[in-house]
Parts: sequence; structure tokens; C-alpha cells
Amino acid sequence: MALDGGVRQAFERVLDPADVISNPVKCRAYECDGLTGYRVVPELVLLPRDAAQVAAAVRVCAEHRVPFVARGAGTGLSGGALPVADGVVISLARLKRVLEVDPVNRRAVVEPGVTNLEITAAAAPHGLYYAPDPSSQQVCTIGGNVAENSGGAHCLKYGFTTNHVLSFEVVLPDGSVVTLGTDTGEQAGPDLRGVFLGSEGTLGITTKIVVRLLRTPESVRTLLADFPSVAAAGDVVSDIVAAGIVPAAVEMMDTLAIEAAEEAVHAGYTVGVPAALVVELDGPVEECDVQFEQVKEICDRHGCTRLHIAGSPEERAAIWRGRKAAFAAVGRISPDYFVQDGVVPRTRLAEVLGRIADMGADAGIRVANVFHAGDGNLHPLVLYSAAAGETERAEKLSGQIAELCVELGGSLSGEHGIGTDKACSMPKMFSRDDLAVMARVRSAFDPQGICNPGKVLPTPRLCGERPGKYKPHPLEEAGVIERL
Amino acid sequence: MTTSTTLRPDDLRSVRDALLDTAGTVSITGSGTAADWAGPLGPVDAVLDTTALTGVLTHNPGDMTVSVLAGTPLRTLAEELASHGQHVSFDAARVADGATVGGLVATADAGPAALVFGSLRDLVIGVTMVLADGTVSRSGGHVIKNVAGYDLAKLLHGSYGTLGVLVEVVLRLHPVPKRSATLVVDCSLDEAREHAASLLGGQYEPAALEWISDDGHGQLIVRIDGTADAVSGRLQRLREVLGSGARDASDTGPDAGPDSGADSGADPWARHAALVRGAPGLAVLRIGAKPSLLPGLITDLRADTVTAGLGTGVATVALDPEAVADAHALVHAAGGTSVLRTRPPGSDVPAWGPPPSALAVLKAVKNEFDPLGRFGPGRFAPWLVTPHDAEGSR
Repeated sequence: MALDGGVRQAFERVLDPADVISNPVKCRAYECDGLTGYRVVPELVLLPRDAAQVAAAVRVCAEHRVPFVARGAGTGLSGGALPVADGVVISLARLKRVLEVDPVNRRAVVEPGVTNLEITAAAAPHGLYYAPDPSSQQVCTIGGNVAENSGGAHCLKYGFTTNHVLSFEVVLPDGSVVTLGTDTGEQAGPDLRGVFLGSEGTLGITTKIVVRLLRTPESVRTLLADFPSVAAAGDVVSDIVAAGIVPAAVEMMDTLAIEAAEEAVHAGYTVGVPAALVVELDGPVEECDVQFEQVKEICDRHGCTRLHIAGSPEERAAIWRGRKAAFAAVGRISPDYFVQDGVVPRTRLAEVLGRIADMGADAGIRVANVFHAGDGNLHPLVLYSAAAGETERAEKLSGQIAELCVELGGSLSGEHGIGTDKACSMPKMFSRDDLAVMARVRSAFDPQGICNPGKVLPTPRLCGERPGKYKPHPLEEAGVIERL
Repeated sequence: MTTSTTLRPDDLRSVRDALLDTAGTVSITGSGTAADWAGPLGPVDAVLDTTALTGVLTHNPGDMTVSVLAGTPLRTLAEELASHGQHVSFDAARVADGATVGGLVATADAGPAALVFGSLRDLVIGVTMVLADGTVSRSGGHVIKNVAGYDLAKLLHGSYGTLGVLVEVVLRLHPVPKRSATLVVDCSLDEAREHAASLLGGQYEPAALEWISDDGHGQLIVRIDGTADAVSGRLQRLREVLGSGARDASDTGPDAGPDSGADSGADPWARHAALVRGAPGLAVLRIGAKPSLLPGLITDLRADTVTAGLGTGVATVALDPEAVADAHALVHAAGGTSVLRTRPPGSDVPAWGPPPSALAVLKAVKNEFDPLGRFGPGRFAPWLVTPHDAEGSR
């Protein structure tokens, strides 16, 4: 059923008619996000110019029961911004002003279309920065970061978007405008801000966001270390943690990922080594120096074959360029790939990597691994060739890896979100009641069910009448926790 | 309604059964350290006492996470974790009084460590709760990085027992600092504000930064956490900023310095905690406002005692009960938030200021989670008037 002309006219009354896009060719530009395997061409794309127009557009949606999907830069990797057939996309691309940088209170007020890195750029003259740093930070927007509760390489020490966003103005699915959160960590009542954060665009649209800024650390020390095995590198991570050190970041890459990254950006990684670790410490110079020596010692103890210490900001940038390029670089060694985002308890890293290797061998599919070792967030890159007919096998393996993470006591997703991609896997992690209670939250915010429908929670239409059967959590099987 | 049944379940199943087997209103209590916080509880048919829900469920030191039954006192948990050199980075004053993990979450409490680590909403990574209709619901999990599904722990944070019973809580842990050292400076709020601006504007990374005052005696307290040798150097830098008035006040941790001693006997953090608890005959108000506005607000409130987080913007003040209504209005006018903690017995003091803009969402969530209004009647009065409140008022 297509939207009737009356609805389009209603949008044209509240927006500049030129900002209501209906040309299918132009709408096609919005058919997918960073997860390109899913595509739906929206009926209309709306390009509001300010918060009042967003609210007005949503009021039209509410009145006509038109489903809507908010969209920032479209860099999401779980299909969270996938349009809904017979619905509209509301792009926040034009709400991109930095409204205020307040160095005294160490915060900034920004519109949702501002990119993650633009916040830090605006704060930098005051010696401040915005901590969460997803790999896509040059292009991804803060509105999308709030929707996804984005992480990044440095969230082991500094936390996630939820730990850095104080409050935001939200257009609720009925078009009303409210503020969630406060000027401090103090709340008057339940933390509605916190439940909205990471709700993947299903509870409303942010139009103004207040973020905390941190002081740029006095000292940053970064090293790149090669190891004879993934297990040895994993032991280094465990020992760093056991020493009471909380590094700013600990990243691991395996042979395939190193090969791809090195081919792409020549960042100085050693091609052919089984595992490389990037360890970064930051903080007061005295603390950094003491702990950096400890980290070097731990690396040596576990048979480090090469230790490269960044001697300048340029060398540090090169190490990070290699790490951050790894995703895209995999395109150089494989025509197609899927990215997974599961999390395991850190102590099970070696085990899960072994299992993934076995599963890949069984499926005849290569898997490159690049991941946030400090917090157990894996990013297996499942390499395949669509032309060679490997898509289905690779997709299956990719799903199995995510579910393996749940089986090991972890999560389906550490930072990419559930979106469209993993909604049907949710019953592997949560019981029917768990999901029903989440649906109650959704209903409290969006009783008409028009705000990004079909995402996060499994629906019969999306997943078939019988979504996958619930499998007991390992702690449940061990009798440690119980589900009634 | 003069008597109420007490339910004291000791596991998840018995919490659910207790709710299924009873009808009517229920107050959820832990160790009772915040029983008179927020709105006064209306009459209830049953009291659900969580203090038999105790014990650690899982603690894998290498993962730095712990899951615990919600009735466990945080100080008991802290004792168990200490041998692993780990702790929950959280230091609300009532932890020392035996406050339970669930109670601390439900009341959104926090202490000076919030400057770096935030409150429990930043440290809880998973919860299991039971709703008023007996539904058992989990969200989050056992890993610190996890975005699967809605984060229901946040809804329970600050819910004051009105949305669900917390049964299990999974917490993120941090290493206990090798050394924690504190400096104090006797000073006025104005001087403290200037010191705070210097410390927060430079490379000092204070772990806690509070100004406290009673009987007109103000004191700035600054703590830094770190490794033994590094802390010595950092303390020296701090002294240079704070001037000759700065004294060593405490030095703790496994690697505390030999020079630790501390000039004065009294631990300023103990004094801080005492002031947070309030004083007899006075009402205690917890307020939050932009840090730059906080000193002005505190001055205008003319509080008897004050603890003020100059970096966090969160303060606890003791006031004449008569002054509370005006204090709510003043804080709200500055864009801040306020909630009553202790009310002197017999006084009729408003618990909340003007309602938040999202009151309709709060009501809708309450209606979805607890449509019959069983849990915590009165806690959010006058914002939330549940069917039972309405009944009681007839």
C-alpha cells in the first residue's frame, strides 16, 4: 500500500516542499545503511531543517500512522536505518550545528547531524575532547551514536556513548518534544535517558544532544607488539588486567587482518605474524610512564617477537591507521565479507577464536579477526565470494559466530546494534518474557508502533512465525542463574 | 489498612511467587537506609524485604565483572572482592551503613567517586527483575560491552521501588587503586570554586573533588588515585596549585606512601559522609546543577550543612524543612534537579520539584510495567498518582 497523496501534501505543508523527496531515483540513495545486504526504497525522504520541522513531520506521521525511520550518516552496520516499505525516512543531515561548547562545565550542545569527530574538533581549542570514538567517527553522527550507544577502541577505559551523554531533546513518536536526562548525573526519577540510549531509533528522534567533554590526556603511550600466537597475545591482555592496569585501548589483529591492513595502508605492521596487539595507555605522565614499563615487561614475558613503540604523534597515528583500516582493507584480500560484532567474556577470547577458526575450516570460509581485546568485543570478518556462490554459507557462518558468543556467556552485539540484521537472533540471548518486557518499553514510548518498526525485537513477519528457539544461557545450564 | 504482610523471598523463584501469591500494594525494601527518601510511602498491603536475597552468583576476576543478588550489602560484596584487588568504583555514604546493591540502584545514589566513574547507572551491566505481575525479565548481560536490546537497568536506576523488584545485578569492577591520597584546604566556597577551576582546567585528574561545610567551617577535599610513585609526584603538583594551605589528610591503599601519616587525625571523607547523612531536625535535599551554577545555588539556599561536588555538579544540603519548597523552585529555575532525602518525622515536606518534561513517558512506563500501581505508592507523588493513591485519598 503506497502512501496516499494527502500524506505527502501534509508533509509539504510543514516542510519546504523541496525538502520532501519522492523521486524514486533520489529515494534510492536512502535504501540501505552500512549493512548493504538489506535494501528497501522508502516512499518519501524528508529533509527537515530544524528541530521544529522534525517534530512537525513526526506529528504528520503520527496523525496518519505512517511509519518513519530516522537516519544520520547511514554508517550503521546492523540495518538500523533500513527504511520501511510504505514509510518515510527522516534525515537529520541538515541539523548539523554545534550549538555551544562550554569549557567551564566541560560539555557541548550539538545537533544530531554533527559528526562524532566534529565535536572533538570544536572542543580541541579548549584542551577537551569527546571520548567515544567509533571507527567511523569521521562520518558517523552523534544522533546515530546515541541511537546505537556507540563504543569505539577506547571504551574499555572511558565507556560508551551512554556514559558521555548527559541529556537530549527528543521528538517522541507522537510528535511531542521532551528532554531526557539532566545537567548532571543526578536524576529526578528513573533514567529514561539511559533506556533511550541504544534503543536504535525505535523510541524517538533526538534533535539536540548535550555531551560531556573530557580533558585531553596529558600523556599518551602507544605500542605495537607481535606475538607467536593469538593465545600468547591473549595472555598479555589478561596479565595487563591482572596488574591492575586499565589501558585506554587494547586491540588485537590476526594474520589475515594484518595482511589486509598492511597491504592497504602500509602502517608498519609485520606481515605474517600470528597476532599483533596495539596497547595504548593515557593519563598523567607519571602514571603512564610507570604502567608503560609494566606493559612492556608483560609483552616480553609472553614471547613478544617485535615491540614497536610510537615515538611521535605521527607514528601513533600510523599504528591506529593500520588498525582502523582493517575493516575496509579486507576488501583487498576478499571480494566480499560480513562483519560480526559479538562479545565474549575476555577470559574466553582464546577459546572463541579457536572455535571460530574450526567453524571457518569446516565451512571452507576464511575468517579474519580484528577486535577490541580489552573488552572481548570481536569483529570477525567472514570472507567470501558472492560470485563463487559462497554467500549463503558465509552468512550462516556469520550468524553462528554471533550465537557462539552468546553461548559463551557474551552478547550478540558489542557496538553495531541489533537492527534488522540480528533481530531474529535475539531469542538466542533473551527469553520470550525478556523480549515482551522490552516491547512494553517500546509501547510506552510508541503506542502506535510507527517508530522504526521491525528493528531490534524479532517479529513473526521478519523472522517467520517461529523465531529461533531459546537456548539456555550457560550460567543457567550451570545452575548459577535460573529462568523461571 | 493497618497491618501489612512481610515477604522475605530468598531467590528469584520465591520473589516471583511472592508477587503472584499476593494482591494489592507492595513496598520493596532493602536494609532500610533510604526508607524516607523521595515521596512518603503510602499504606501498603505487603512489604517485600530483599535482605534474604544475598550472595555472589558469579565472580570471574579475569573478566572484572560480578553478579550478585540484589539484597547483598555493597560493603559485604566489597569485602569479598578486596582479596582480588578489585572493587565497585562507587562510594555513596550509606554503603557504610549496609545499603544493598539493589537499594543503591533504585535510589540512584552516588558518592564523590562519581566524578570519574559516574553512578551505578554507569557500572551496572545487567539486571534480572520481577515485575508486579510476576514476569521475570533480564536485560544486559555479563560483558561490559553489550548493546543487545533495551537497557532496562537504567529504568530501575532511580525508580525508588516503583517499577520492579531487582533480584540480580551484574556489575562492572575496577582495580583498587594502589594508592589513594587526599589533600584538604580550609577555604570558603568562593576559594574552593577557584581551586576547582584550576584543577579541572589542568592535567591533575582528581579522583574526587568536594567542598564540605558545617558550622561555617568550609573545606575543599581533593583525592588522587594511582600508583605509589606516581602519586607522590602528582601530589606535589597539586600542592603547588592549592598553595600553602593544603594539608595531607589521608593516604591509603596497598602501596600507600611511608610519608602517608596525614597531618590531622580526622579523615575528611568520614566527615563528608556524615554531612551527606544530614542532621537531626533538618531536611536533606539532593540537588544537581551545572557545576558553574552550583556554588551560587548553594549560597542562595543558605543550607546548614553542605557537601558539594564541584566537578560533578551534585550537592547534598541540609535545610530547615520549611525551606524545602522554595529550594526545589530555586534549583529548578537554574535548570537543575532536586529530590528530598531525609524528612524530619512529622513534617510535610515536598519530595519533588516541578515535574520533568517527560512526565507523560514516565507515566506510560509505569502503566506498562505496573498497571495496577502495586509498587511503591506515593514515591513519586504528586507526579504519579496510581490507582491506589487515588483510592487512599478518597
